[in-house]
Amino acid sequence: MSETLIGKRIPKLDAPDKASGKTRYIHDLEVPGALHAKILRSAQVHARIVSIDTSAAKALAGVHAVITAADVPWQRPIGVAKDHLPLKTDRVRSLRDEVAAVAADSEEIAETALRLIRVQYEPLPVVATPDQALAPGAPLIHPEPHGADSSPHLKSAGAPVAFAGKPDNIAMTFEYAQGDVAKGEAESDFVVEDVFKLHYVTHCCMGISGVIAEFDPNGNLLLYSNTQVPFLHKREFAELLGIDPARIRIIQPPIGGGFGSKLDIYPFEPIVIFLAKITRRPVKMVFTREEEFLASPTRQPVLLKLRSGCRKDGALTFRTVETVHDNGAYTSWGATTPFVMMQTISSLYRVPHCQYLTRAVYTNNPYAGSFRGYGNLQATFAVEAHMDKLAEAVGMDGLAFRLKNAQDPGEVTPQGMHFKSCGFKDCLATAAARSEFLRKQAENRARWKDPNPVKRGVGIASMLHVGGGAKIYPSDGCGTILKIDDFAHVTLMTGASEIGQGSETVLSQLVCEELGLPLSAVTVVNNDTDITPWDVGVHASRTTFIAGNSAIGAAKKAKAKILAAAAAKAGVPENELSLQSGYIVRSGKEKLFELGKFLRGLHFSDRAELVMTTFYYEPPSKHQDKGFKGDVSAAYAWATQVCEIEVDTQTGIVRLLKVTGAHDVGRVLNRLGIEGQIEGGIVMGQGYALTEDLMVEGGVVKNPNFRDYKLVTAPEIPEMDVSFIETLDGEGPQGAKGVGEAPAICIAAAVANAIYNATGTRITALPFTPENVYRALHGAAKAPAWSAAA
Amino acid sequence: MSVLETYRAPQSLDEAAGILREGNVTVLAGGTDVMPQSRIGKLKLQPVLMSLRRVPELRGICEEGGTVRLGALVTISELLESALVRERLNVLWQACDHFASDQIRNAATVGGNLCNASPAGDTLVPLLALDARAVLVSKPNGKLQERRVPLAEFFTGPGRTVRTGAELLAAAEVPLPPRESVGGFYKHGTRPGLDISAIAIAFVARREGKALRDVRVAFGAVAPTPIRAPRAEAALEGRAPDEPALEAAASAALGEIRPISDLRASDWYRRELVRNMLKRVIDHACRM
Ligand SMILES: Cc1cc2nc3c(=O)[nH]c(=O)nc-3n(C[C@H](O)[C@H](O)[C@H](O)COP(=O)(O)OP(=O)(O)OC[C@H]3O[C@@H](n4cnc5c(N)ncnc54)[C@H](O)[C@@H]3O)c2cc1C
Repeated sequence: MSETLIGKRIPKLDAPDKASGKTRYIHDLEVPGALHAKILRSAQVHARIVSIDTSAAKALAGVHAVITAADVPWQRPIGVAKDHLPLKTDRVRSLRDEVAAVAADSEEIAETALRLIRVQYEPLPVVATPDQALAPGAPLIHPEPHGADSSPHLKSAGAPVAFAGKPDNIAMTFEYAQGDVAKGEAESDFVVEDVFKLHYVTHCCMGISGVIAEFDPNGNLLLYSNTQVPFLHKREFAELLGIDPARIRIIQPPIGGGFGSKLDIYPFEPIVIFLAKITRRPVKMVFTREEEFLASPTRQPVLLKLRSGCRKDGALTFRTVETVHDNGAYTSWGATTPFVMMQTISSLYRVPHCQYLTRAVYTNNPYAGSFRGYGNLQATFAVEAHMDKLAEAVGMDGLAFRLKNAQDPGEVTPQGMHFKSCGFKDCLATAAARSEFLRKQAENRARWKDPNPVKRGVGIASMLHVGGGAKIYPSDGCGTILKIDDFAHVTLMTGASEIGQGSETVLSQLVCEELGLPLSAVTVVNNDTDITPWDVGVHASRTTFIAGNSAIGAAKKAKAKILAAAAAKAGVPENELSLQSGYIVRSGKEKLFELGKFLRGLHFSDRAELVMTTFYYEPPSKHQDKGFKGDVSAAYAWATQVCEIEVDTQTGIVRLLKVTGAHDVGRVLNRLGIEGQIEGGIVMGQGYALTEDLMVEGGVVKNPNFRDYKLVTAPEIPEMDVSFIETLDGEGPQGAKGVGEAPAICIAAAVANAIYNATGTRITALPFTPENVYRALHGAAKAPAWSAAA
Repeated sequence: MSVLETYRAPQSLDEAAGILREGNVTVLAGGTDVMPQSRIGKLKLQPVLMSLRRVPELRGICEEGGTVRLGALVTISELLESALVRERLNVLWQACDHFASDQIRNAATVGGNLCNASPAGDTLVPLLALDARAVLVSKPNGKLQERRVPLAEFFTGPGRTVRTGAELLAAAEVPLPPRESVGGFYKHGTRPGLDISAIAIAFVARREGKALRDVRVAFGAVAPTPIRAPRAEAALEGRAPDEPALEAAASAALGEIRPISDLRASDWYRRELVRNMLKRVIDHACRM
């Protein structure tokens, strides 16, 4: 047998380029003749636009175009609810709003031109919180249909009214129910209720946003874009421009981080396309870091009321959840995160009765998008706090209580999720044992009254997340084209985008494993919609699972083709042949042909035959029904994380000392890759819990820079001990499941439980920055209240 | 928009002071304040940008006759590497150990830190506690002139000092504290590096048996300038640093600070920190 690549530590294929500074990100791309674009954003949080005067900007030498909504009457609303015109017509709804745009010979000229644009606003009352948005008589964010209000050019152009407006500031609602919560509550011996408040954070991709748009003389559009969803966005851009999607080609340069932020299209992209169309020149736009903070999506802030109960024996009885999401001024994927949150509410632990109501509410704040974990950080934060509280009420330890309610393999939950493989209890037991959770928990608690102002705490939390794709579109598939050339070099063309997560490497590994080739034998092509087959995008931790199965499928077909030809040539039965270490081998040891030589022979023979295969993988999952029930993923990932912290009660500083994680990953494919993914996720969760806070006051982002928006820095990164629970999922590629989002999800929840263990104070609002913690410890914090729902 | 016309790099203090006298000059040392501040429009660059980097008189750390002279161009890294600073001005050394990141420390100068006069400037607080003086140089009528200003009188507001536009800061002079003195520095930020102080505390005193003598307490980021806290000092003078003395000092300090609320902390939290951490800083310093 040739040695397996599975489970090995394989450096990322793009690492040498990145480490040596050779990677050409969008910033580095120079398209000859390109103009540079800048966007004028609103000077007001909420206002009517009275007039825009661009004449002085247009007159500036070096300026090629200055556009406002009036110049693009054919623009269409974008976003998940199609409530967002790229260039604003009669009103601005947040400070990020795009009012005008310039294309000029240089960035400096474009910037100077922006300063020459005169906009007159008539301020409207600012809706700064969901509370205010839901209050009776609140100002409406989208009172009228877009495109048919005070903009005659849009009315008369015969453009359809694309967004009808919202009479009540409610952008989106989700309702889910299973069982009968009243019955569940009646059966409960203990009931707890809390209000949790989750804050704003943003992705902070090191590679800031950018795009280059170029039309050819035939009107075909070429986009260099950082999107994580090239195929679906192609269609959105086409609709926006009213052209055939087939005329759009998207090339993705290496992307400097996504984490969900590139799952939607944002106004700057259509605006740059408009400028390219109007100037007939390539147009490039790259954000500044400040713009990245102001005009990127956020993780959705949530106010969440949770009521849960259990019986004396520790069995959970019911959960009632109500949430209000701050949607911001427009609707992106953030509004749909309840879809994931309800899975955690209903199915992380066995709960017979559940009810769940959520509303995403328009405000004049930055708008929320999708972000690694997709609502699950928020839901897990609340659920795991209650697991601790109920355990304490019952008098069980936190581990036993969780084990009692944890899911087992084979379970089909009331929401319809089928856990064909499930290592949850192993995760719990492993993380608890390796961290000596129970012993430390008891010791820390015994020190509550100790005079030392610095306390220690340990907290546990677990998570459930889709690990086999997520059928949110009618298809959740991915295509592969695989070519093996006359030197046995493989070109793998996949629909799956590489956004830094290491998909290129793991896909190459899976293909090489099938074909018995070294990793150096593969080139991956994954960034050009004219070449690569279809895929629904990088999201839902789906790429290794979906694209991996697709790549394996194509490799298997290629292998079958080669072995059939070899069997015919050698006159031996096909089932005795295999591919190993670059050879076609008989009975596992006898080298019949060197693969390259054999393939050259195929190419040159009188019955020449090329090895080129295609495969399309569609996971065996189901779209949910109207009641949000259904087995939406082909596999589910599990994890438990134990966090150990130190709290200085005289400053409120919480230091994360150690994270012990146990992850059901199905199977480890690239050990180095999965370690990196998990360590990075832990640090992202740490930032969410302890340091990161996008401060939004009255619609204004107060800290749009890395001095005041605090990402975790290297010395703060805790010790990590990560165990992999290999459940070898039957549907997974080589048994693996998706893990991209998992590691970020439970940190905040586990830290909250650890703060309680250290101090006896339970804090239900994030982030745990020193002042917030200090206030909570000294009775000076305002506990989150449920006022919005009134 | 500011329009830069000339870049000057004088090679002597005399030449530098001469250029400054001509006017319309932005002085550049390490640039770690000048560059970011001019980018965001907080600082308007003058037509002449004058780099001090080649002026030898502004360099170096030396001790003479019981006074330590820190040249204005001395970087934070150089302070950290200096045995004299580490052993005899340890409270300053501790502040440097919490200053920014290695990259910034290599560029940032003590002169720039003092002239930038941020209430949160990290070297300002220990230098105040060490009774340092600013040495200011100008060339009003063809001849170099020096004047010395105690640091306690140097700062007049956020970003403002008594230095005139025609003066350069040449050095900070620090009377060498006696060997038996103790000192401690505390900076409150959320992370070990790269953070701006939400509050800073410096404490210096001499031990006479159990008692504290020549007590000096300074705070950063709790008033428009870094400040000394004379009443807190008086509360400790001649007393052993026991709980009642520490409590008295903390209460006195609360009457001397005037914190504001900003992104980094509320005024209430700053007060709490001053009370809790002044006691801890003194207690730690005296246990060493
Ligand atoms: C990322 C980052 C982190 C930082 N962290 C900290 C920190 O932790 N603590 C802290 O205190 N500061 C911090 N700073 C601020 C800055 O680094 C310090 O204030 C530094 O000491 C400034 O020194 P400089 O030599 O760079 O000054 P410059 O930027 O060159 O000058 C600062 C000001 O002083 C004037 N000036 C400089 N030298 C003289 C002189 N000899 N005579 C007259 N005028 C002069 C300049 O004209 C300018 O107005 C940070 C800055 C950055 C960018």
